[in-house]
Amino acid sequence: MSKLFYPKLAVNNIKKNSKTYIPYILTCIGAVMMFYNMCFLAEVNDIGYLSDSTSLRQILFFGAVVIGIFSFIFLFYTNSFLVKKRKKEFGLFNILGMEKKHIAKIMFFETLFTSLVSIVIGILTGILLSKLMVLLLFRLISFKIVFGFEIPIKAVLYAIFLFAGIFTINLVNNIRQVHLSKPIELLKGSNVGEKEPKTKWLMATIGALCLGYGYYIALTTESPLAALSLFFIAVILVITGTYCLFAAGSIAVLKILRRNKKYYYKAKHFISISGMIYRMKQNAAGLANICILSTAVIVMLSTTVSLYVGMEDVLRTRYPRNIIVSVYNVSDEDAEKLDAIIKEQTEKANTVQKNVARYRSIYFNTIQNGASFTLNRSGSYSSQDIAAVIFMTADDYNEMENKSISLSKDEALLYTLKGNIPGDTLDFDGFKLTVKERLDSINIEAKVSSVLFNSYCIIVDDMDTIRQIYASISGTDGNMGERSYYYGFDVTGDRHVQINLVRVLNEELNKLNLDGYTEGSEISRESFYTLYGGLFFLGLFLGLLFIMATVLIIYYKQIAEGFDDKQRYEIMQKVGMSLREVKKAIHSQILTVFFLPLVAAVIHIAFAFKVITKMLAIFNLTNIPLFAVCTAITIIVFAVFYTAVYMLTARTYYKIVS
Amino acid sequence: MALLEVNNLKKIYTTRFGGNPVQALSNVTFSIEQGEYVAIMGESGSGKTTLLNIIAAFDKPTGGDVLLNGRSIVTMSEREISAFRRDNLGFVFQDFNLLDTFSIEDNIFLPLVLAGKSYDEMNNRLKPIARKLEIDDILKKYPYEVSGGQKQRTAIARALITKPQIILADEPTGALDSRASAELLKLFDEINNEGQTILMVTHSIRAASHAKRVFFIKDGELFHQIYKASMTSEEMYQKISDTLTMIATGGVRNE
Ligand SMILES: Nc1ncnc2c1ncn2[C@@H]1O[C@H](COP(=O)(O)OP(=O)(O)OP(=O)(O)O)[C@@H](O)[C@H]1O
Ligand SMILES: [Mg+2]
Repeated sequence: MSKLFYPKLAVNNIKKNSKTYIPYILTCIGAVMMFYNMCFLAEVNDIGYLSDSTSLRQILFFGAVVIGIFSFIFLFYTNSFLVKKRKKEFGLFNILGMEKKHIAKIMFFETLFTSLVSIVIGILTGILLSKLMVLLLFRLISFKIVFGFEIPIKAVLYAIFLFAGIFTINLVNNIRQVHLSKPIELLKGSNVGEKEPKTKWLMATIGALCLGYGYYIALTTESPLAALSLFFIAVILVITGTYCLFAAGSIAVLKILRRNKKYYYKAKHFISISGMIYRMKQNAAGLANICILSTAVIVMLSTTVSLYVGMEDVLRTRYPRNIIVSVYNVSDEDAEKLDAIIKEQTEKANTVQKNVARYRSIYFNTIQNGASFTLNRSGSYSSQDIAAVIFMTADDYNEMENKSISLSKDEALLYTLKGNIPGDTLDFDGFKLTVKERLDSINIEAKVSSVLFNSYCIIVDDMDTIRQIYASISGTDGNMGERSYYYGFDVTGDRHVQINLVRVLNEELNKLNLDGYTEGSEISRESFYTLYGGLFFLGLFLGLLFIMATVLIIYYKQIAEGFDDKQRYEIMQKVGMSLREVKKAIHSQILTVFFLPLVAAVIHIAFAFKVITKMLAIFNLTNIPLFAVCTAITIIVFAVFYTAVYMLTARTYYKIVS
Repeated sequence: MALLEVNNLKKIYTTRFGGNPVQALSNVTFSIEQGEYVAIMGESGSGKTTLLNIIAAFDKPTGGDVLLNGRSIVTMSEREISAFRRDNLGFVFQDFNLLDTFSIEDNIFLPLVLAGKSYDEMNNRLKPIARKLEIDDILKKYPYEVSGGQKQRTAIARALITKPQIILADEPTGALDSRASAELLKLFDEINNEGQTILMVTHSIRAASHAKRVFFIKDGELFHQIYKASMTSEEMYQKISDTLTMIATGGVRNE
């Protein structure tokens, strides 16, 4: 035998199986390319010029890790599918007198060729596209400067090592599979497992419970901070539930339908139900994968898109005024100085203050239980009963609102930013206040905190009362320091004016040696764009990757089913089914199987909607209609795309069948 | 009027890749009466399957006509043919052609379901057939769980359940061992005795000796035929075997 015998045979094998191998190699190339590009962006020098480069690099690095892990899982899955299809071929080699170690040799060369092609072409196209990626990323984060061309050697090495590793593991797995099986099993290969699946009630029940509990969490979580930690658990539950239900639940349902003789023995149901029962076992995992990937794509795209599109909203939520000065523990004297400074500096900057919101208050972090409040001593922010209580004096209130109310010592005005207090008596660990009036509005900013947890503003007669309340809930002598001072206003004038003003005011605060800071939407805009643009980029990128995976799974499903069904439909025609009936049967069957994952994905999204809006609140996006629109558009675009992929691959299917 | 009439049937296969056209059938004419049991024999490649496929309307002839009950199946449209096939013809194939997605019972029901029959009617029809073919206790099983002989009996049940005018069988014993073959032939004898018309292509002399009439095809032509008449199967066996030897040695046509 010539030295080239095995390499040649390997090349021939790949050619012969091109219908399945070309998409596989293309996917590998795509995965290498995307991974390289993510690593490239995480490493590239250009990003260092951004003011907020660390967080962006972290996002990108996270993206690279996700792509790496996903590539591993996905290529492993695809590879085992391919080997299963080819077991027969290997069995034939074996029976024709080829030893298993020779088969292993062939597989080695096959893997060598596919991996070389994938890695080399993947990295090359990655390098070609990398400039485009930087440009796209910079565009998304509104960063204009562009630098030269760069090939970070680290990124190249990461890509080579990761994918060489993946291919090696796949090869070892293939050799192991062939090595373990007897020739006769190899010959049967893809026919193994054609038995009708059993109904797995336990699995179906577990699936339903997981899914139900996951949905329950998603629907009942009110606090955004709790949502952040519970979301992950809900995701795991829903994924488990999806797999179990696709694997067991679908078969259970189909079998129930089959038991209904009147329904089952109708030409259109007869063929599709039996076909689906038969099919579900092989395809449950694939369908569940499609469903989960679709859900992930839709969630990622809709959230990152709405954060990006809703940037102005986000900025306004985070910074209710263009310029905000907040200082803690300010004496009356300092407060007056501060007023003067702000007045002076705005005049200097040649602008006018508008929408001024100015108030002094003191803030307690408490645990709420009905109308009773105790100090939150753990400092934890995850409990659902956390309430921020903001106290103000009647004098401050009158000044702020231009009113002249007066309160007695045990009376209070209550304004609820978020939450609910039953009854008219507030209890602060023994100190009681009677609610004289519940206010409908108040000119204080809905502070960021109010999005996250319950917040109330309480107006009492004077500082002394506030001190007594503090003494009561903290169990100390009531030495709580001075009130804080919030001074927010919009200004006329462009970005530069605003940014400058923030800078100057911060310097002044430092001079006065006050514990506080000035912030503004304009000065933060860049870092918001960097962060949310980076997330948006990541969403697009991972979305694309997942879509690619979905397409491949769909394609393989169609091919596998096509070959499976070919003979079946021939037989049906012989027994007296017309070509038209055959086509109709095929159609209704694949249609159901195909759109099941999409429908399931949309249901997942519907249940997840509320909890996602809670999480977006942490990112300062409170514009729920915007998110709803983004989600709807994402779903529609995705559905159109999905249908297009379906139609294209369905054509391959029809070609194989007829 | 004969049940099945085959008139001057011709079939020429023109291969797509520029090969020579193959004349699979040239001018075949015969007719089969209601209740007959006919076997077709011939060497490999002589055109037996081609003939059966045309009668079954799986394929169109190049020339000639096939009439079932006086109706030409050659000129039927694709849509008519499916229903016609379902209602009038029953098939038994060498490789059974059962669907692995269906249980044995559902495989048998398939043509009736396609014809839109109710479950009760299907069930009523199935019972006596299943009893006779001794498959009543495997009805709930799946094709991969039963033996070759049982599969073939399932295929026969599927052919019989539509009460076809004629049963067409292509090498029905081809994939069976001798015991299962003998059982199947006995079964064919029985259903033929009950009046069922059967047309069977076979290589097996044993199988052909059960038929009431045997056609011999050579090079696409009807070469010879013999009647069983009052012969026993043993005598018939001898006669067929003699005829085959004669054909193989290039003997002349008698009769
Ligand atoms: N689809 C086709 N295209 C071209 N030629 C064909 C085709 N089908 C059959 N033939 C040719 O027609 C001739 C008759 O074939 P047919 O299958 O009818 O033979 P047969 O008698 O059934 O043989 P066997 O006993 O081996 O099954 C053969 O020469 C065969 O090569
Ligand atoms: Mg044949």
